Amino acid sequence: MGLLENKFEDNIIVEKLDKLISWSRSTSPWFFQFGTACCAIEMMAAAASRHDLMRIGIIPRSSPRQADVMIVAGTVTMKMALRVKKLYEQMADPKYVVAMGSCATSGGPYWQHGYHVLKGVDLCIPVDVYVPGCPPRPEALIEGLIKLQEQILENRPLTRKTG
Amino acid sequence: MSEDKEKLISDAVDKALKGDKEAINSIEDRVTRAKAKAALVKAQRNQTTVNEDSTEANSEEKPNKNQKLELCQIVAENIEKKFPKSIDGEQNEKWIQLKPENWFEIAKFLKSDEGLLFDSLQCNTGVDLGEGFLESRYNLHSMKHLNNIEIRIKVSIETPEIPSVEQVWRVANWFERETYDMFGIVFSSHSDLRRILLPEDWEGWPLRKDYEVQETYHGIVIPKVKEGWE
Repeated sequence: MGLLENKFEDNIIVEKLDKLISWSRSTSPWFFQFGTACCAIEMMAAAASRHDLMRIGIIPRSSPRQADVMIVAGTVTMKMALRVKKLYEQMADPKYVVAMGSCATSGGPYWQHGYHVLKGVDLCIPVDVYVPGCPPRPEALIEGLIKLQEQILENRPLTRKTG
Repeated sequence: MSEDKEKLISDAVDKALKGDKEAINSIEDRVTRAKAKAALVKAQRNQTTVNEDSTEANSEEKPNKNQKLELCQIVAENIEKKFPKSIDGEQNEKWIQLKPENWFEIAKFLKSDEGLLFDSLQCNTGVDLGEGFLESRYNLHSMKHLNNIEIRIKVSIETPEIPSVEQVWRVANWFERETYDMFGIVFSSHSDLRRILLPEDWEGWPLRKDYEVQETYHGIVIPKVKEGWE
């Protein structure tokens, strides 16, 4: 900052646009509520007044077109997998996915004998954060979302990637 | 309330219970008439509960199992009388084994016959018996006579075809779709025989004993885990 120090008036902060974008993205990741099973109840509890996801800028949306994060909460069957993929493709970039609960991360209790269950949602869409638990408590989901925010904060959308 | 009125009401109720409805209607005072009607309803309710108690006591004298045996035999005899040679094998005391050929007509008969009146299909499901046979089972209930019976229809796994009873009990529409979905039993003349739970393009019938899971579905790999407990 040495070069630009004391060159401007007060109340002006000098910062890289790159960092500003990732900061603003990380503080308002609106999530698309994709509850398919019991994990959805915990997701609702996390968004409701006791745990209050809105205090860290996370707001539930009902449409994939208004959302940045997709929280896959619950068992995803093969029939649903195609819909998950379609809804993920409808979200605008940048988009992130949180796999919530055992079923979404690995198939959970249906791991061995559930012929119709997708063994982890990462088999059809890319996942950023996995939240284990059956179902995970709202605190676990909130920690997962804070981890996601940290990930987003480290991104540099305007920097050209090399190598 | 004065004693006169109480006596008037109790007399009127007694008469009404014996069949003389006019006894209450002819009371002139409106309030007394209303009270008399309420007392009549109460008295009738008490009477019916007493009656029910007595019938229950009667039925308890016979063992329940015999009753069921009788019921199944009676229904089977009725079917045999109307549709000869439709019973498959020996008559069982717990269920009725039928051949698939006349099933639609028999179902119509079971639902509409005054003495049977099985107006509610409570469940239909399938069973893979192994050794190349599938079975469809129907649990029927009569709302009027409060009877329950079970119908079983056995078909071979090569030609699993049973007439649909969707036109008899409308609820059979989805029941039969589920049985078709899981066992591949074809219900002929069903109006909308599609898979109900699994996706349309799924391969195989999952609840059959010889079912093998397909390897991929729309490019998504279905891992097969064979280790561990079976």
